[in-house]
Amino acid sequence: MVKLTDEERRMFDGGKGRLRQRAIENIVRYAEVLGAESLCTVTKATVFCGRHSYLDVCGSDGFDAVFSKVQLGSDEIIPFDSISPVCSTQSCVAPCDLTSWAPLSQSEEFFRLNQDYLRRANEAGVTIAGTCSPYLNGWIPLPGEHFVTTESGMTMLGNSLWGACCNSDGIEAAFWSAICGRTPRWGKHVREGRRGNVAVHVSATPNSRMDWDVLGKTVGDRLPSGAVPVISGNFVHVSFNNIRQFFTALAVSSNCEMCHIPGITYDARTREEAFDGISPEVSFSVGFPEMLETYEKICSPGEGPVGLVSLGCPHYDIYQIKRAAELVKGRHVEKDVTLQVWTTYSILEMARVNGYLSTIRDAGGEIYTSTCPTTIGRPFLERFPGLVFDSLKQSGSVRSSVSSPNYLADVEGCVDAAMSGRWIKEYRWRIR
Amino acid sequence: MEDQVIKGRGVISGRVEGVALVCPASITGWGGIDPITGIIKDYDNPNRGESIKGKILVLPGSKGSNGWSCYFSITRVSGANPKGMLITNVDASCAVAVVGLGVPAIVDFPRGSDPCLLIHDGDVVVVDGDTGIAIITCGS
Repeated sequence: MVKLTDEERRMFDGGKGRLRQRAIENIVRYAEVLGAESLCTVTKATVFCGRHSYLDVCGSDGFDAVFSKVQLGSDEIIPFDSISPVCSTQSCVAPCDLTSWAPLSQSEEFFRLNQDYLRRANEAGVTIAGTCSPYLNGWIPLPGEHFVTTESGMTMLGNSLWGACCNSDGIEAAFWSAICGRTPRWGKHVREGRRGNVAVHVSATPNSRMDWDVLGKTVGDRLPSGAVPVISGNFVHVSFNNIRQFFTALAVSSNCEMCHIPGITYDARTREEAFDGISPEVSFSVGFPEMLETYEKICSPGEGPVGLVSLGCPHYDIYQIKRAAELVKGRHVEKDVTLQVWTTYSILEMARVNGYLSTIRDAGGEIYTSTCPTTIGRPFLERFPGLVFDSLKQSGSVRSSVSSPNYLADVEGCVDAAMSGRWIKEYRWRIR
Repeated sequence: MEDQVIKGRGVISGRVEGVALVCPASITGWGGIDPITGIIKDYDNPNRGESIKGKILVLPGSKGSNGWSCYFSITRVSGANPKGMLITNVDASCAVAVVGLGVPAIVDFPRGSDPCLLIHDGDVVVVDGDTGIAIITCGS
């Protein structure tokens, strides 16, 4: 039985309206399934707004009917008109750019429908940010702060790097928490759930962002369910962008929500602190051969024409855009190739002010915001003969939906492919 | 061969019987399942091409994006939902999915009773979400 505070009980009994009542009913049911005994207060949330493709199942139903049925699990229509006043809530990616639809193979009608979904979320109190990387907008949870997010890489970052507390609850539960301001006190919200239980030694020395990306899936593929890995190795080329790439790939290839890298992540300065008095249940090592095997499995073989080159998963920060602009400056994207850079609209404005946007446009590329190729989906992706991504997560998600050759390269390889219009073996990733 | 009985923690009540689909590598939710047909489309999943519709879905836990539960719970709307679920060790994504699906579910099986190891595709399984007992009849 989940113990509720007086305030939670008032919400549960309907004293704070039907929407909050339904949200906390769901949170209590969720807590019971987990075996949690109480709830904790959530002060940050990202939620998955917009008319996403999986909602097609609901046909032409209106916003409130879809929201009630899918997000609240209710046949009764309960308008989504408010969120918890103590929870700073912003939107994750939606299926559309903030201003363009035709270049992304979308109709104006669909674009307007998505805008309507975003407007309804905004009117309920959600700040429309449209990003998988909310920290680019200053949404950064503190150590010990309880947050929810719809982005698995953000879950890993918040738990691991910043010592905040989050489970990978998912799309519906993030809405429940944002509305009622509570989540089950379980998993990464309690000390026992944050202890290391798997020891991983990395014998390779990851240097580039792509090295860390490939390492993330190499480790994630080998983790047992419920793992909190403690990772050791010679990590001399650590940067925020390398770490977030690693966490993104690790999260997407396992159900891992947190890892310890003693000396880098927040909870543990040493290996002993990371394991917090328990012995690892599993130990393994990975190195360059295992990483190469991971890469060769995900990157299509051979050479061939390229139609789309996509940079920015997770959404690029301003320095990554600056680097992309440096690489394309004075060159031009091959005819019939689409070069797209993905970020938040706040970073887009910085790119505009600093001249990076015009440099990328002069080269034939474009910067888009608020979404990404896999979130846009098939009609857009299917038109390209070959796809090149700078991210294992993006590449993998697209590969599950579209059968075109799908290549993975660092930003330099991606830009070269966009300029030449062909994927060649020299672009393939190798550890240097 | 005699029926095998395993016991975990029943979390969604009700009793159903169905054919098992065992996914030891789990399933990626976001991009890994077609919510209309229930067909697994995960590019590197050994169960790719199979459907969860009407099955007793057996998983070790979740995998991948936080957009996991929604791909399962929305099958309740499309009618492609599994009949029941057995999850070796519950995690947050799985817990939200079983709440959303509302089908009989058992989680947290003790060591030695891992449904991913003891049940095989095609076995007939009775899931009793009230008692936490699953009865396995060999399908071959």
